[in-house]
Amino acid sequence: MAKFMQQRGVKKLLKDRLAVVSMWVIGAYLLVALGVLVGNLFTEGGLKSETELRIGPDNVPGAWATQSAEARLRDATFYLDSIKKASRGSDPAAAYAALEWGSDRLPAWKPDRIESEIIEPADEISTALADHRELEGNVEALALLDRLEQVVRARIGASHDESGNAQRSAGQSFRMLLGTDRQGRSILVRAIYSTKVAVQIGVVSALISVLIGTILGAAAGYFGGVVDVIVVWLYSTFSSIPWIVLLMVLASAFRGGDWDGTLIPVYAAFCLSFWISPCRVVRGEVMKLKELEYVQAASAIGFGRARILFKHVIPNTAHLMFINFSLLFIGAIKAEVILSFLGLGVKNEPSWGVMINHAKAEVLNGFFWQIGTATVFMVILVLAFNTLSDALQDAFDPKHV
Amino acid sequence: MWTFILRRLLYNVPVYLGILALLMGALRVNDPISGKLGKNPDPSDYLALEQRYGLDQPFAVQYVKLLGDVVTLDFTDVESWTNDGLFVGEMLAESIVPSLAITVPALCLTSVLAISIAIISAFFRGRPVDKTLMVLAVVGMSVSFLVYVIFGQYWFAYLLGRGSGLSYFAIGGYESGLANWPYYCLLPVLISTFVAMGYDTRFYRAVMVEESGRDYITTAKAKGATKTKIMFVHMLKNAMIPIITRIMTTLPFLVMGSLLLEVYFNIPGMGRVLYKAIQEQDFPVVQTFVAIFAALFILSNILTDVLYALVDPRVRLS
Repeated sequence: MAKFMQQRGVKKLLKDRLAVVSMWVIGAYLLVALGVLVGNLFTEGGLKSETELRIGPDNVPGAWATQSAEARLRDATFYLDSIKKASRGSDPAAAYAALEWGSDRLPAWKPDRIESEIIEPADEISTALADHRELEGNVEALALLDRLEQVVRARIGASHDESGNAQRSAGQSFRMLLGTDRQGRSILVRAIYSTKVAVQIGVVSALISVLIGTILGAAAGYFGGVVDVIVVWLYSTFSSIPWIVLLMVLASAFRGGDWDGTLIPVYAAFCLSFWISPCRVVRGEVMKLKELEYVQAASAIGFGRARILFKHVIPNTAHLMFINFSLLFIGAIKAEVILSFLGLGVKNEPSWGVMINHAKAEVLNGFFWQIGTATVFMVILVLAFNTLSDALQDAFDPKHV
Repeated sequence: MWTFILRRLLYNVPVYLGILALLMGALRVNDPISGKLGKNPDPSDYLALEQRYGLDQPFAVQYVKLLGDVVTLDFTDVESWTNDGLFVGEMLAESIVPSLAITVPALCLTSVLAISIAIISAFFRGRPVDKTLMVLAVVGMSVSFLVYVIFGQYWFAYLLGRGSGLSYFAIGGYESGLANWPYYCLLPVLISTFVAMGYDTRFYRAVMVEESGRDYITTAKAKGATKTKIMFVHMLKNAMIPIITRIMTTLPFLVMGSLLLEVYFNIPGMGRVLYKAIQEQDFPVVQTFVAIFAALFILSNILTDVLYALVDPRVRLS
């Protein structure tokens, strides 16, 4: 390890302040992803169920946004409608107890009291409010709206005092921090969960692609002859199909059957189209390396060809592997968004691509919280990787254009 | 020169044969007819379809048939499964113009803008202008394509001019004719230009910077040439070789490059036809279209190599 840190390139990399910052950022994302992964394994139903939870009305904006009067009325009406629906059932008491949005619920009152203290006054106010067509700037209507919120909204929370005024829990405030999507699910929770999906896709497909690419490329460059011809033919073949078409065909080819709903079709599509660029670069580098004296010396000592290849040649392409890993990681995350938009990507789980794709309809209504959150989460990670790739290139492969 | 062209052509024959095998294999991982008829089809229906589309024949026979179709450019006997009575040849003829209407202007615009910005950036190398431009390029590269498309459509097609009842850009759709072009195609062109800018600008700037370290620049400086003259007369001329190569290598993407935009803006180009065919499991269309794309891709690769060899004679020898 100490030897590794002493290398010229590593030293140069650690001196680059931007590179260090981006490594910390990537580390933070990896930790979050690991946390989600571990949490998913050790909690009942998994953290995944948390991402599907309805925590309130649809398209609530983030905590620090001021809501329009229309939106406030819509939110209050959402809660009131759910309560009224529960009251109409055969067993209202059970229905009230079953009502919950995240950790928000009604006070533990008898059905009569809910009827008389929430539903009846709220209905009265709603009827009065219906007479006002314009809400914004209308003092009388806004006063009614405030009262409606006191009667309904203020009664819903994690814990309640004697008179039924509710207190929100910290967990619920956290869930509500960046608002809710069209199905009333927490945007923040979904975005955090998606970190796991992104890192998973990025790490698995970049790692496998780099491994396949390096082994094939090194073999082609080192052995030459028939091996080289076959490998070059293979990568020319794969790279002669536009990558998006290749991704689409592969993703749809692996669709259906037992793998549907898992990430395996996505991995397969990414690995089969991403191994080309590391293969090409490593092949070129190995062709250069094998002419160097230390390789000739190794073969003069009598080392086997496989040993020279794996112990002496491939380790010297490590910098190219790092650079390519970093570039492919970005490629995978960005391609995931596109595949999810085309309906061939992640299923049954939230991912940034799925979120951006779902946000299409909300944007036309002027609701930007979901697309904004997913984009910011993604941009920070991709930006960090872009910066790191540049720094890696500067430090280890300065001649590259 | 002719031997070079011939060599490139011959070299690509096995590559194309490989592509066809890969394509046909990938499309048969899931049985195409089950995809069309559903999970548990009636066996007699299944056999009838299998016979009708020649899928009961051995792989090699189907392979030769597809190869023959591509070589003779005759797709009039390949019937689409989902568009009643439409043949792939007609679908191809209809969709090629809308695709080019977006990709060709986008390529021109991107190249001109990216090269200009790269020149500005290289000219002010290391100064705030350069740093700002490069930071913008990296940030621009990091945002997802889809986000640009969604916001572009929202701001320019939906909000712009909404108050005055005017509409400058279509939210989607396509009509042929030059007069309709700006309304339907300009916005997708601008978006695709914007997306490509970050990456291209960085590349072109790197080329310029690389060129600026060469000996002939030092010589020119020593002889007292002005910075502007070095930049535009000496450097740009030599930087043109990698720049032209890069533009040429993007030519093959012209055909497919706009798939996402076509899907999003409902433009009936080749990309959208392929996308819909994949969605609807229209097996013959997917197979033929990908085969055609790959053929075009390889042809333009060969063209690139030949043009490159014309520009830089050293290539011919390797």
